[in-house]
Amino acid sequence: MTQRFVFTALLILTLAGGAVAGTIEGKVSGGANSVVYVDTIQGKTFPAPAKPYLMDQKGLLFQPHVLAIQVGATVEFQNSDTVQHNVFWPSISGNKKLGHNLGTWPKGEKRPFKFDNPGVISLLCNVHPEMAGYIVVSPTPYFAETDASGNYKIDNVPDGKYNVVAWHEGMKQQTKPLDVAGTGKADFTLSK
Amino acid sequence: MQTSWFRRFFAVPLFFAMLTAIWPSPGYAIPAFSRMYGTSCSTCHIDFPKLNDFGKAFKDAGFKFPKDDESMIKIPPVMLGAPANAELWPKAIWPGTIPGIPPIGLRYNNYFQYTSSNRNQYNALLPPGAIAPYIPATDFQTGFFSMFTAGNFGSDIAFWVDDDISVSGANGNGGLGEAYLKFVNIGRLVKLPDHVLNVRIGQLELDIPFTQSKSIWVSPYDIYSQANIGVVNPAFNQQFVNNFTTVASSAKGIELSGGLHTGGYNYSIAFIDQNTSGTAQANNNGYVPTATGSNQGGVGIASDSNFKDIYASFNYRFNLERDQESRNAIQAAGPSGPRDHTYLNFGTYYFYGRSVQRLSGLTLDGTAAVLTAREPFYRVGGNATFNYRCCLQFNALYMYGHDYNQLPVDATGTSIFVSGTTPVGFVQGSPATFSGGFVDAEWLAYPWMYVMIRYDGVNSNSDYHNALAPGGFTGSPFNGAASVTRNRVTPAVQFLVHANIKAIAEYQFRPSQSVTFVTNPFTGLPMAANSFHTNTLVLGFEFAY
Repeated sequence: MTQRFVFTALLILTLAGGAVAGTIEGKVSGGANSVVYVDTIQGKTFPAPAKPYLMDQKGLLFQPHVLAIQVGATVEFQNSDTVQHNVFWPSISGNKKLGHNLGTWPKGEKRPFKFDNPGVISLLCNVHPEMAGYIVVSPTPYFAETDASGNYKIDNVPDGKYNVVAWHEGMKQQTKPLDVAGTGKADFTLSK
Repeated sequence: MQTSWFRRFFAVPLFFAMLTAIWPSPGYAIPAFSRMYGTSCSTCHIDFPKLNDFGKAFKDAGFKFPKDDESMIKIPPVMLGAPANAELWPKAIWPGTIPGIPPIGLRYNNYFQYTSSNRNQYNALLPPGAIAPYIPATDFQTGFFSMFTAGNFGSDIAFWVDDDISVSGANGNGGLGEAYLKFVNIGRLVKLPDHVLNVRIGQLELDIPFTQSKSIWVSPYDIYSQANIGVVNPAFNQQFVNNFTTVASSAKGIELSGGLHTGGYNYSIAFIDQNTSGTAQANNNGYVPTATGSNQGGVGIASDSNFKDIYASFNYRFNLERDQESRNAIQAAGPSGPRDHTYLNFGTYYFYGRSVQRLSGLTLDGTAAVLTAREPFYRVGGNATFNYRCCLQFNALYMYGHDYNQLPVDATGTSIFVSGTTPVGFVQGSPATFSGGFVDAEWLAYPWMYVMIRYDGVNSNSDYHNALAPGGFTGSPFNGAASVTRNRVTPAVQFLVHANIKAIAEYQFRPSQSVTFVTNPFTGLPMAANSFHTNTLVLGFEFAY
């Protein structure tokens, strides 16, 4: 009886071990506000998250300054200031055809936008040119933002071979190949 | 020949100026308010110092955000008393604030001028062999270096002070521009609606339809610098008008104002020191103190008579904004972002003063006496502006100037300019008048490029007549006028290199001038001949930080 229980438990754990994904962790030299994500995985698609993200304009700032989302996700842009704002982006990762202007809306209102193209989006306000915000659209659900020390951890990554990308404002984006077998570690030293 | 010369000397620098202007850069403009609010110059300025709708609202609110200023400011003000002290008043000082950092901005400009070849014709005014003040074809010129500070002391009391630390590269040649306290919406103390009454006290630029001190043009508006100097050329009927007052000069006094931001009325009424001579009066009387001096005389008195000049303006702005949601907001909400409203503004203004002139004379019984002529004068006119959204603005202003002419006469009633005798009194002579104005168009072709053109016109009989004498009459507002009407056309382009640095190019097709006089065969009076134009091209840069 005891033998059967131990065997069954071992079998479940083994099977579960194949399904429970691993993690990717490491450090990015830029400190906070870096984003690390797993690049496109050939032949794999992922359902878009249903819950929208929020990008606020408050105190003449985009808040948060950097927002990482999964491709297909919707971001609601909100104006919390008593002055008028505008949100536009001239391109997505340099592709000017994907530039867009959301226009202007009053305080308290939100304007949603669904991001169907992966890449980095520089958010601007055309009346307050000092305002800058970023949305990093990851092609996979495996992404994370760094903490104040630059550390990150991406959970639930299935074992496999991936390209891991690190991005930080004003730095050159860096890609590293990584084998994930339970865990994977990738540190990035970004440069301008 | 002229084309190749132009290409050689200006095409290359212009190309580089444009290249510099369009070269992308991450820099921002950071003068006084930019630092406090952590925002760019372009939040308030289209092309500094020209304000956009938000900048006007910021200024009207007393140099603060019209709403939620506390949440916008990045460097909080220092409290000069807890707000609860207000409840203790008059047993406590009313609590105020000072800016968290000294709100200081600095501004500098520098120019390069090309003057057309006719400049040498002025040498004909000098006797043969005399060394003329040389006018070079090209010249580098330093502009001014100015300091300005402005902000809010709480309780809706705003302040502004600007001073030219140096002008034309020479220290100490500058002077105080504006320096005032403004009590914003002070009408609330007597339950008046918002914006009905503000009060400014100090040294002011009058609320003239188009600001001169904060204009984006390099060259001033001709009509604004038009003093009214009567005919002094003895070949004509001489006048006794010597009024150096100009509406764009700094004025010392008090101003009441009010009005609405997006559409509706705006008014101002100012009472200012009368100062016909255009200079501060030296207080040589050791018996009378002044506010800034000792009990035995001070540094000078600004007025040269008891009378206070009066300036009044009224404007009505028609809000033509079609977007209903943002029609009454500070800025209109366009499909691609906030922008200025579309509007049409009409205004009128009136300046009334008394030009006081004193001269030594006699009483009717022959006793020596000082005779005083008090010559009422007025400037009246209208203005209009059509603004289309962010990018296109047309402005127009007309002014008519009129000075009564108290002609000094001797005991026989003959003008002393005819008899050459000592005056005993005055009779009414023909008034000295002038008229003119300007129209301009300003097009924001890109957020960093302003293309502008302006026409200035001034009609002054006396300026023309005074020029018809060898050497001219130097007191005249314009030397060597070749006709009664002076026309000037000024195309210009400005490039914002950053929001706080700009490159400027301005060409002046200047009025015709003359240094040659002939006798009109029909009237027997002198008239100008061989008129010419001395045009100028000014290239420059300017920055503020």
